[in-house]
Amino acid sequence: MQTVDHKKKGWSVKDVIFLAIIAIFFGIIYQVWGFAYYAIAATPLKPYANDLTLGVWIMAGPLAGVLLKKIGASVVGELLAAAVEMLLFSSWGASTLISGFIQGVGNELGFAATGYKNWGKLGLLLSAIGSTIITFIWDWFQSGYSVYHIGLLVSLFVIRFVSIGFFSGVLVYWIKKLVNRSGLIK
Amino acid sequence: MSSKRINPTILVIIMLGIGLQITFAHSVSTNIVVIFVTCLYLCYCKASGKLLILTSLYAFPLALGSWWSFIMFGTGDVWHTAWIYASRVYAYLYLGAIVTLTVSVKNILLSLSLHLKLSSTFVYGLLASFNLLGRIKHQYKTIRYSAMMRGTTYHFWNPSLYLRIIIVALNWSQDLAEAMTSQGFTEGAARTLTYKDNLPKWQWGLATLLILLYFIFSFLVRPW
Repeated sequence: MQTVDHKKKGWSVKDVIFLAIIAIFFGIIYQVWGFAYYAIAATPLKPYANDLTLGVWIMAGPLAGVLLKKIGASVVGELLAAAVEMLLFSSWGASTLISGFIQGVGNELGFAATGYKNWGKLGLLLSAIGSTIITFIWDWFQSGYSVYHIGLLVSLFVIRFVSIGFFSGVLVYWIKKLVNRSGLIK
Repeated sequence: MSSKRINPTILVIIMLGIGLQITFAHSVSTNIVVIFVTCLYLCYCKASGKLLILTSLYAFPLALGSWWSFIMFGTGDVWHTAWIYASRVYAYLYLGAIVTLTVSVKNILLSLSLHLKLSSTFVYGLLASFNLLGRIKHQYKTIRYSAMMRGTTYHFWNPSLYLRIIIVALNWSQDLAEAMTSQGFTEGAARTLTYKDNLPKWQWGLATLLILLYFIFSFLVRPW
């Protein structure tokens, strides 16, 4: 008898391929609209470009979470997306993989706070809050946010939360509702 | 693969070991040393010059934006800070390039599975998906064109775009996983390998030495 175990709880090769294919699609989407980011990023407004667009880069994590509903799905989903991005398209080099991991952990903490029981509105809200805080702390060191004016920092934090809240919260929730209605994933 | 090159696993360890430290370091000189050494290695490996120049140009707006934003909004020694973060962009870029531009995706993944025991589920799952790259690009266009036929344009904020993507990913992952199983792939089982990957002991030493040296210079010596 072959070895496909449909009740297996861990990671199956199907899950990995599923997330990797979605990650490659994300890579293509980033490439297409990355031009807008670069246009703002080449000016002093770069921190705004970062925070305004951050939600899109983070989407893969919570999307993996709500689709697979597994412990660790957000981290693995985001890490896979980052790995794909680094190997295929990225101009961030080594930091892509490290940032991907950090972002995934932020989302994961949100779902963990609900005891991995809520993958709906509450889980997504907490995951958005988690990744906003964690990625902001990370940028404090990585992108030098520690030396910006306090006024700029406050506005960046708000913009970051709105961006992550919309793309990784609201949009992921809408996608999840569509997927549920289509009956594709039980 | 030439035996005089550094093993992909060691390259990944160096990349992460130094990359992680760069985040917390505040030195322009160590960034420049990282850029210089990684560029030397890239030249030694005869990495595609065209690709290297292209990615360098592509990262230029990021470096310029970082530099400029600290001059405009920074506090304290803005010039020093500006140069730290501008050079950091390139330090990260070339550090990533020593892995991505000198070794193929397949060799990186197989090497990691051999030496760092990365699970074969992930290694072969990722390999299978990378082989679909061309098809996925094509499929993305198909999804957008078929929507246009129905008079809608999919933007990246449209949930329906992602639904189509998820449907494709579900179907393909199911098919691929079944195809792999029917070809004898068993998750978690011991595998025989024809892939040979030398990892001499001195390369572990090299990775440790480089990571330690970086640590000492960035956090203890702390040059400008």
